[in-house]
Amino acid sequence: MSATEVVDGKLYAGASVRRHDGDRYLRGRVAYTDDIVLPGMVHAVLVRSELAHARIVGVDADAAREQPGVLAVLSGAELARHAGPIPNAMDPVPVGGQPIALHCLPVDKVVYAGQPVAVVVAETRTAALAAAELVAVSLEALPVVLDAEAALADGAPLLYEEWGTNLLLSGTAGEGDYDAVAAASDHRIDGAITTGRSAPAPMEPRAYIADWDAREERMTWYGTTQAPHPLRHSLAGYLGLRERQIHVVAPPVGGSFGYKNFGHPEEYLVCLLSRLVERPVKFVEDRMSSLRYGAKDTRMTFQAAFDADGRVRAVSCALLANHGAAAATGAFGMAFAASLALPSGYALEAFHGEYRLAVTNKGPWSPMRPFGKETASLLMERVMDLVAERTGLDPADVRRRNWIPADRFPYATTTGLELDSGDYAGLLDKVLEVWDYPAARVEQTRAREDGRLLGIGFGFEVLPEGADIPGALIGASDISTVRMDPSGEVEVLTGVTSPGNGNDTAIMQIVADRLGVLMSEVRIVQGDTERCPFGFGNVSSRGILTGGGSAALAADDIAVKLRRVAGAMLEVDAERIVLHGGMAAVADEPERALPLGVVAHSLYTIGGILVPDLEPTLESTRTFQMRNVRHHPDEHGRIMPFSTFSNGLYVALVEVDPATGVIELQRHVMAHDCGVMINPRFVAGQFTGGVVTGLGAALDEEVVHDADGVQRTDVFKSYLLPRATDVPRFEMVHQVTPSPFTPLGTKGAGEGGVACSMAALLNAVNDALRPLGAQVDELPLTPERVLDAILEARA
Amino acid sequence: MIAAALRYDLPRDLDEALALLSQDPATTRLLGGGTWLVPELNRGVVNADRRVVDLRRAGLGEIRADGDVIHVGATCSYAALEASELIASRLPLLHAMAVGVTGGRQIRNQGTIGGSVAAARPQSDAPGALCALDAAAVIAGPGGTRRVAVVELLSGAMRTTLRRDEILVGFEIEQPGGGHGYHKLKRAAGSWPIATAAAILRLDGDGLIDRATLVLGGVCATPLVVPVADVMAGHRIDDDLIAAAAQCAADAVTEPWCDELATGRYRAAVARPVAHRALIAAQSAAIQQRRSQL
Repeated sequence: MSATEVVDGKLYAGASVRRHDGDRYLRGRVAYTDDIVLPGMVHAVLVRSELAHARIVGVDADAAREQPGVLAVLSGAELARHAGPIPNAMDPVPVGGQPIALHCLPVDKVVYAGQPVAVVVAETRTAALAAAELVAVSLEALPVVLDAEAALADGAPLLYEEWGTNLLLSGTAGEGDYDAVAAASDHRIDGAITTGRSAPAPMEPRAYIADWDAREERMTWYGTTQAPHPLRHSLAGYLGLRERQIHVVAPPVGGSFGYKNFGHPEEYLVCLLSRLVERPVKFVEDRMSSLRYGAKDTRMTFQAAFDADGRVRAVSCALLANHGAAAATGAFGMAFAASLALPSGYALEAFHGEYRLAVTNKGPWSPMRPFGKETASLLMERVMDLVAERTGLDPADVRRRNWIPADRFPYATTTGLELDSGDYAGLLDKVLEVWDYPAARVEQTRAREDGRLLGIGFGFEVLPEGADIPGALIGASDISTVRMDPSGEVEVLTGVTSPGNGNDTAIMQIVADRLGVLMSEVRIVQGDTERCPFGFGNVSSRGILTGGGSAALAADDIAVKLRRVAGAMLEVDAERIVLHGGMAAVADEPERALPLGVVAHSLYTIGGILVPDLEPTLESTRTFQMRNVRHHPDEHGRIMPFSTFSNGLYVALVEVDPATGVIELQRHVMAHDCGVMINPRFVAGQFTGGVVTGLGAALDEEVVHDADGVQRTDVFKSYLLPRATDVPRFEMVHQVTPSPFTPLGTKGAGEGGVACSMAALLNAVNDALRPLGAQVDELPLTPERVLDAILEARA
Repeated sequence: MIAAALRYDLPRDLDEALALLSQDPATTRLLGGGTWLVPELNRGVVNADRRVVDLRRAGLGEIRADGDVIHVGATCSYAALEASELIASRLPLLHAMAVGVTGGRQIRNQGTIGGSVAAARPQSDAPGALCALDAAAVIAGPGGTRRVAVVELLSGAMRTTLRRDEILVGFEIEQPGGGHGYHKLKRAAGSWPIATAAAILRLDGDGLIDRATLVLGGVCATPLVVPVADVMAGHRIDDDLIAAAAQCAADAVTEPWCDELATGRYRAAVARPVAHRALIAAQSAAIQQRRSQL
C-alpha cells in the first residue's frame, strides 16, 4: 500500500464506489446469453418426462421430424452413441460417495418429473416448441420415492440400481466423546429441525449456445456459467477435444447463487447438438425448469449437553438430506460442507455429527448459497436458544458464554477447520449499539400481557468460504494479469468471474489504488477463456480474495517499474516516487510530477536509456494462493479445505398472529464481519441479497410435490420469493476483523446473511410462541405450520 | 414463448367480438387482460386452443352510473377501478379489492375484473367482492343479452356457466350503502390470496342492522356466501354479534379449497378470523356512514 497511501490519501479501496458499468444494467444495455444471436443459429427445446420415475420404453419422433424447420430430434439413447456420461464438477467417490455417471439425456430411465428425455432442434424456438409437442415418449412407470427416510428404507425403489442403495453419501464429523461429556454435564436437551426444499431462482434462468466450427474443429461456447475455465476442461473431456479447441465465453448473468457453476446436462448437450447439426445451437431454460433444481430439504436431529451456567459442552447430531435426483454439479458437497461447518463458532468439548444424503425422485439438488452451511447455523442456534430456555438465562448471554473467545484464533474446531479470526462477542456488542435489547424484552413482556405474541430471535453464522477442494477444479487461488499500455491505460484480465455482484469494480478499485490511476483508466475483462488467465470463476465467495489478491500482486509489479522510470525521469530515487491521481510525483514535492501516461510511454520507447536493466513492458501475471488450506489429512483423516470464515449475528423481532399464524417481521438487525471491505456498498448488496434469500427460506419459499412426484410449485405465484414489501428496512452494521491470511485482510462476503436470517427467524418465532407452550421446528415457517403448532398446544 | 401458431383478433366492438367468437367457439379463448391466459399459452397449458380474441379494444371498459345501478365493464382493469371516483364513492368495497390485488402495479394495470370472474380461480379477489355486492353479470351471446348473478355464474373452481359462444360484457351493481370491510390473508406480496372476506353492514335509522352480507373468497372452490343476515339482521351491532357472525363463517366452510399454498384445513381454520376482521372493519364503516347521514 505504500505506493499510494500518500498525497491527499484518498483511495478507492474501502470506498463505496458505484459499479463501473451500473448504468448499462439499469438501462438494459447488457447483452445476456439469450441476447446473443449467431448467424445460422438454431434452437434446442427439451421434451420432458411427466412421470417422476419410469423406464424409457421408446421415443417416437417421426411426426416431430416431419415438422417444418426441424433439424433433429434425438433421444438419450441416440445421443449416447456420440458421447459418454458428463464429467462431475466434484466427484463423490473420493469422499466415500456413490459414482455418478449421468448422460446429458437419460438413456434408460427417468428419475424425476420434468426430466428431459429428448431434444428437438429447429430453425426457430417456436418451431422447436411445436415439434416437441409431437414427440411421443413411451414410459413404463416405476414406484416413486420422494422422502429421504423412505428412500433409505429396505425395499425402497432404487433410482440408480447399480448402486444397490439410494444413499448417495454418508459420513461423520467431529471429535471428542459425546456420551462421556454428556454424562458429566448437568443437563441434556434434544430436538429436531427440518428445512424445506428451496430453489436458487435467479432472475435469468440458464442459457447456453454452442457453436461448432467444423472447418477449424473448434467449439465456441457462450452461456451462464460461473466457471469458464473449469467448464472448458470438463467440456473437453466430454467431447474428446483438447482444451485449446474450446473457447468458453461467459456473458453477464442475472444472478447465479451457485446454480450456474457447471455440470448441468444442457451445457454439454448443446455442444453435441452443434456438432451433429453443424449449426450454432441455443438452449434457454424456462422458469419451470429452473425451479426444479433445489437445495436444503434436510432433517436434523440433535442432542446437546450443557451445564447449569449455560455452558454447552457437547453436541451430537444426525443430518438426513434429500438430494432429489443425482447431479454432476457437485451439489452433494452441500451435505459435506454442512457437517464441516458444525459446530459453528462455539467452543465445545465434544461434537459428533453423522450425515446421510439420499437420492429421491425430486429434481436434483443444485449448489446454492450458503452451500449447506445454513444447517450448521440452524442447529447450533436452536441449541443455544433451547439451553437459554432451560437454564432461564438470556439467549444473548448463553451465546457469549459459548462463543470461541476472540483471543483464541486461529482456532481448530472439532470438525478439523481452522477458523482464521473473529470476534463474535464483538458482533453482539455492535448489535446492541443499534438496538436497545433490554427495552425490546420489556416491550415483549408488555405485549404478552395484552395477548400479543412478540418474539426475539438471535441467529449467528460462521461461514467456511474460499474453498479449495482436492481433486476438483475449485481452488482458493487465481491468476490475474495487469497491463498498462503506452497511453497509461490499464487492463485487468482475471480468472474470477462476476455473478453480478460488482467484484469486477472492486478489483478495479484495488488495481487503480496500487497504480495510482483513476478508475476511468482501468478496464477489466472476465469470463473469457481466450483472453483471461486460468481461474476458478466465482465460487465459494472468493472473487476478491483470489481475484483481488492476484490483481494486487500483478499491479504492484507494474507500480515498481513505473516508480523506477519516473524516478529516472525526475532524477530521484524510485522509493521517493508516489503514484496517485494519474501522476507519478516526488513525495512531498507534488509540483515535481509526471502524468503516468508519459511515464508508461517513456518506458516503452526510451526505457533502454532511462532504466537499461528494466524489461521495457508493463505487464504482469501473478497468482495468489491462500496458504491456510490443507489437503493432507490430519491424524483424524481430516483436511482443511476452507480459507476464510466470515461471520454474522442477527437479531429478529417478529409478531405472530395467533389466529392465523401469520408472521410479521418487524425488525431485522444484522452485524457482519467479512474482514476488510473493499467496497462497503457491494458488501451491503451481497448481504441484502443473502438476507432476503434467508428470509424466503425461513418464511415462504418451498418447493412442493404431489404424491406422484410432480412439482406443484412451478411459477413465482406458488414458489414465493420475498418481494420488497415483504421485508422490513434492514439495519446493517459491520465489524472488521481482518483475515491474517489474506494480503488485503478480506474474507468472503458472498454467502452471508442466509443462515443467520433463517436461524434468527426460527428462534424469534419460537420465542413468540413460548407463552402458548407451542413450538415449530419445520421451515419455512408458513402460517399453516405456525397455526398448527398453536392449535396443537391449545388442544 | 407461445409454441403453437394461433389466430389473434382484436375486435373493435362487441358485435365484432361475438362474430369472431361464433366462427369457432370451441377453440377460441377470450382475452380480458391476459394476465392468466398469456402465461398459460406461454407455458403450453392451453395450447389446444388455436384462436384468441382480445377484448381489450372492444369497448367493454366503461364505468358509469345509471341511477342506482353502476355498470362496470368486463375489461376494466384493477387500475381503472382504483382510479375511478365513482367506484371509490359508491362501491368502496370494489375499490378496496382492486387496490390490494396481488401482483403489483403491472398486474393491476393489465388484469381485468371480467377476466378474473371468467377465469373463476378460487383464489382471485374479484369474484368474492362481486358476490358480496350482489353483482349481476351481463352476458352477450348469439341470442342476445342475459343477466345472471355472479354467484350463480361461478359454478366451480375454474368453471363458470358461461357458454363457449358467450362474452361476459360487464357487471351491474347496485350501490349497497352502509359500510364495508375487506380483509385478505396471503402468504407474501407475491402470493395468491389464501382467504378473503368481504363484508357489508348497513344500519337503519334506529341503528339496527338492515343489511348484512359476508362472502369468503379463496376458502372454497367458489365464493362462499355466509348467511350472516340470519344472525345479524334486526339486531344492534356489538362484539358478540360480530363474533357470532364470524363463527357462522367458520361453520359454513364444509368443503374448503386446497392448493400448493395452503391446505383446506388451514383455509377452514382461518375463515373465522378473516371474517371477523372484515366484519369489524365493516362495523366501524357502517357506524361512520350512519353518523354522516344523521
